[in-house]
Amino acid sequence: MHSLDGSRGEGGGQILRSALSLALVTGQPFRIHSIRAGRPKPGLKRQHLAAVLAAQRVGSARVSGAVLGSSELVFEPGAIQTGLHRFAVGSAGSASLVLQTILPALWSANAPSTVEIEGGTHNPLAPPADFVRDVFLPVLARMGPRVELEIVRYGFFPAGGGLLRATITPAPLRPIELTERGERTLHRARCLVANLPPVVAARELAIVRREFGWGPGQLEEARVPGPGPGNVLSIELGFEHVRELVSAFGERDRASEFVAKEACAAARTYLEHEAPVGEHLADQLVLPFALAGSGRFRALPLSLHATTNIELVREWLGGRIDVASDERNATVSFG
Amino acid sequence: MDSKRPTVVLGFLGVKLDDSRRDAKRWDHWRPSVDLCRHDDLVVQRFELLADSKHNSLARQVAADIATVSPETTVELRALDLVDPWDFEEVFGALLDFARAYPFAPEREDYLVHMTTGTHVAQICLFLLVEAGYIPARLVQVGPPARMNSSALGTYSVIDLDLSRYDKLAARFRRERDEHAHSLKSGIATRNTAFNALIERIERVALDSDAPVLLMGPTGAGKSQLARRVYELRHERRALAGPFVEVNCATLRGETAMSALFGHKKGAFTGAASDRPGLLRSADGGVLFLDEIGELGLDEQAMLLRALEEGRFLPVGADSEATSRFQLIAGTNRDLRAAVREGRFRDDLLARIDLWTFRLPGLAQRVEDIEPNLDYELQQWERRRGQRVSFSREARERFLAFATSPQARWPGNFRDFNAALTRLATLAHGGRIDTALVDEEIERLREAWGEAQRDSSVDALEELLGPAGVAALDRFDRVQLADVVSVCRAARSLSEAGRELFAASRARKSSSNDADRLRKYLARFGLEFERVRSGSTPR
Repeated sequence: MHSLDGSRGEGGGQILRSALSLALVTGQPFRIHSIRAGRPKPGLKRQHLAAVLAAQRVGSARVSGAVLGSSELVFEPGAIQTGLHRFAVGSAGSASLVLQTILPALWSANAPSTVEIEGGTHNPLAPPADFVRDVFLPVLARMGPRVELEIVRYGFFPAGGGLLRATITPAPLRPIELTERGERTLHRARCLVANLPPVVAARELAIVRREFGWGPGQLEEARVPGPGPGNVLSIELGFEHVRELVSAFGERDRASEFVAKEACAAARTYLEHEAPVGEHLADQLVLPFALAGSGRFRALPLSLHATTNIELVREWLGGRIDVASDERNATVSFG
Repeated sequence: MDSKRPTVVLGFLGVKLDDSRRDAKRWDHWRPSVDLCRHDDLVVQRFELLADSKHNSLARQVAADIATVSPETTVELRALDLVDPWDFEEVFGALLDFARAYPFAPEREDYLVHMTTGTHVAQICLFLLVEAGYIPARLVQVGPPARMNSSALGTYSVIDLDLSRYDKLAARFRRERDEHAHSLKSGIATRNTAFNALIERIERVALDSDAPVLLMGPTGAGKSQLARRVYELRHERRALAGPFVEVNCATLRGETAMSALFGHKKGAFTGAASDRPGLLRSADGGVLFLDEIGELGLDEQAMLLRALEEGRFLPVGADSEATSRFQLIAGTNRDLRAAVREGRFRDDLLARIDLWTFRLPGLAQRVEDIEPNLDYELQQWERRRGQRVSFSREARERFLAFATSPQARWPGNFRDFNAALTRLATLAHGGRIDTALVDEEIERLREAWGEAQRDSSVDALEELLGPAGVAALDRFDRVQLADVVSVCRAARSLSEAGRELFAASRARKSSSNDADRLRKYLARFGLEFERVRSGSTPR
C-alpha cells in the first residue's frame, strides 16, 4: 500500500486528489496521513470529501477516515464503474476539480461513461470548467481519449447551482510532444455575466480592447442564467499546438477595472513567454503524460502544485520524469 | 468537532436576516441560515427550520438556496406559529412542546441550536431549553464576513454549555474550588487526606445549597469555625445577605430557650419588657449555627422543624407568626440516632437536618495536620499580639513528637491544642519557646488528660493489661481492643456484647456464634469477659 504524507510539498488538497486519481487508474490502495497538517483548520475539508466520495463511487472503493477534519484516510479501490454517474458538490467545492479527479479512471476504462456534476463551475479558487474544456481536453484528445464537456448551467460562487456534463470515450494514451506553440490562430476575450447589469461586461471588455487593441469580433459578452450573480472575464489565446485560457472573477465591490486588468496581466504573462504549457495545464498534464509512458512538454516555470504532483506520480508509477528548468522554461520529460 | 455523527441544526428562520432580498442580489448579502450551510469544515446533514406559516414563501426560498449551496443538507420546514414572537411565555411554551415532541437521538446525531436568528426572546428560550437539557445540543452562533454585504463566507462558532469542556474555564473553577477549600480550612495547609476530602465535599455542597447541614464531631474539632467559614464564603459570593448567628443549644435551658430562639412580644411573660426578635429572626437571610443541637428541648425542636419547613414560627406571646429564611448549620458531638431512640430527639427533625452530614475527625485522628496547625496558631498569636513567637528547633521537634504520638489524645481537640500553644507563647521568654517550656507543657497536658481519662477505654486497657501490656500492643490492636472493652463494660452478658460487636455479620447470617467469637478474641490478649466487665487488674 502506498503511504503518503499529506503535508508534503504544496500540502493542500492537490496531493489527495492526485492520489485518488492514481489509485483509480492503477487499482492500487493508499494511505495518506497528516492531511493538510499545519493549515489553520487541518484535516479533510468538505471539498476534499466531495472528491473522495466521487472517487469511491467510481472505483467501488473501500474507504476509511472519510469524515470532515480527518487527518488520515485509507482508500482501497475496486472495479471501475462505467456508465452514468451523478454527483452534487455544493458551492464550496468545485465541480471541475471533482471531474478531474475521476477522469483518468474513466478514460482508461473499457466502456464509455457520462458524468454529471452539480455545484460550482466557476469558483475563483480552481480552474473554471471552460479551462478544462478548451485547454486541457484538446491536448488529451491528441493523446487518444475523447471527453466532451458541456457546461449545461453555470454555477458561480457563492450560489453554485451549475451543472457539468462530461461524456467520456476511453482510448489508450499515446505519447506526444508539446514543446512549441506554433502560429497564433486566435485571440478573444469572453465576459460571462449572470444577474448583473450589462455595464459590467461593457467596462471589462473596454479595458481589454484598450490593453490589446482587439476589435469587436474578439470581444464577446455572454449573458447566462443562474440562481445568483456572477462574472468571469476569460481571455483565450489559441495557437497551432495549444490553447491557453486565463480568467479573472468579478466580485461585489470589486471594480470591473481590476477584474479586467487581472485577466489582461495573466494573458500578457503567457504572451511574453514562449513555452506552450501554462501553469494550470502543467498540473493537469503530468498524470496523462506519465501514464502514456513517454513524451515531453515545455511549460512556463512550474508551480509548487506541479512539482508536488510530479514527485507523487514518479513515486507511484516508478517511471522516470525529468525536469529541466531555467528562468523561463521547464521541460518535463517522461520515460 | 465530532464529525462522526451527522450534524443537525435547529434554528428559526430569520425573517429579517435571512430575507435581504428576493432576487439574485440576495447572494450578495449575508444570510445566517444559508451561510451556516456553506462552511467547508461543517456539513449540515439536516436543517430543522422553524418558521411561522405566514413566512412560508421566504422559508421555501431559504430551503431552496441551502439546497444549491449544500446538496448534502435536507431542510425540514417546521411550522411554529406564534401570535407574538416577543412573548416569553408563548415562545417558551411552543419551543418546549417542540422539544418534547422532537425525536432527539443524540447518540446518532450531533445537534446544534442556531442562535443568530429569531427574536431575542426566541434566542433566550432556546438557550434556556439547551441549558436545562430539554434540547441535547450545543449552540451555534454565526457572524457576518468582515465586509458585511459581500458574498464572502461569514464565521461560525460552536458553544458548548458544558463548561467542563473548556480547559481554561475548568482550570479556573478548579482554582476557585481550591481557594474555597483553602478558605474553609482557615488557610491551614492540612495534609490529612480524609479531612481534605471532607472539606472538598463541603465546598461542593454547602456553598451551593440552602439545605441544612449537620456537622458531627467531638468538641473542639472545629465545627463552629467551619460553620463560620461556610457562611463567610457564601456571603462573599453574595449568595447570602443576612448575618451569621451562632448559639450553643446547651446554653438554652428552660423557659428562656423558646424566647431566645423564636423571640417574644413585649409582656409575653414576666420580664418581657420589650419585643425580642429571637435568633431565628435575626438570622433571616443568613446562617443560623445551632451547636450541640442534641441539647435542644423537644418543644423547641418542634418549632424549629416548622420554621425549617415553612419558614414560619410563632414568637412567645405573639398572635401572628414571624417569618425567617435562613440556612441551618447544626453541630453535634452526640449520636443523634441514639437520642432519637431514647426519645430525646425528634426523628422528623433529624431526617430534615440529616441531608448533608459531615463528620469532622478529632485532632488525634489528624496527626498529619498538627504541624500546619502549630504554624497557624503561632501566626494567629503574632497577628493578635503583634509579637513574634517561635520554637527552638529542638523544642519544636519535641513538642511535635509528643503531639503526634498516640499518648496525645487531645480529648478537647483544637481547644486543647490552642490552649497549649497559648500557654507556651505566653510563657516564652523573648518570643522563644525552649525545650524546658515544652517539657513543662507536655507534663501539664499528660496530667490534665490523666484526670480526664479516668473512665476512658484507653485507661481501661491500662487497668486490664498494665502500662507495659498496653505499650506492647500495636496501635491497630489497641484501638480495636479499647472499643471491644467499652462494649463489654456496657453489656450485661457475653452474648449481648457479642451481638452488638458482630451485628453486621449477624445481619448477613454469616456468623453463628457471636459469644464464642468474642471469647476467642479476648483470649488472644489473655482476657476474660467477666474480668473485662469488672475491670480488675491482672493477677
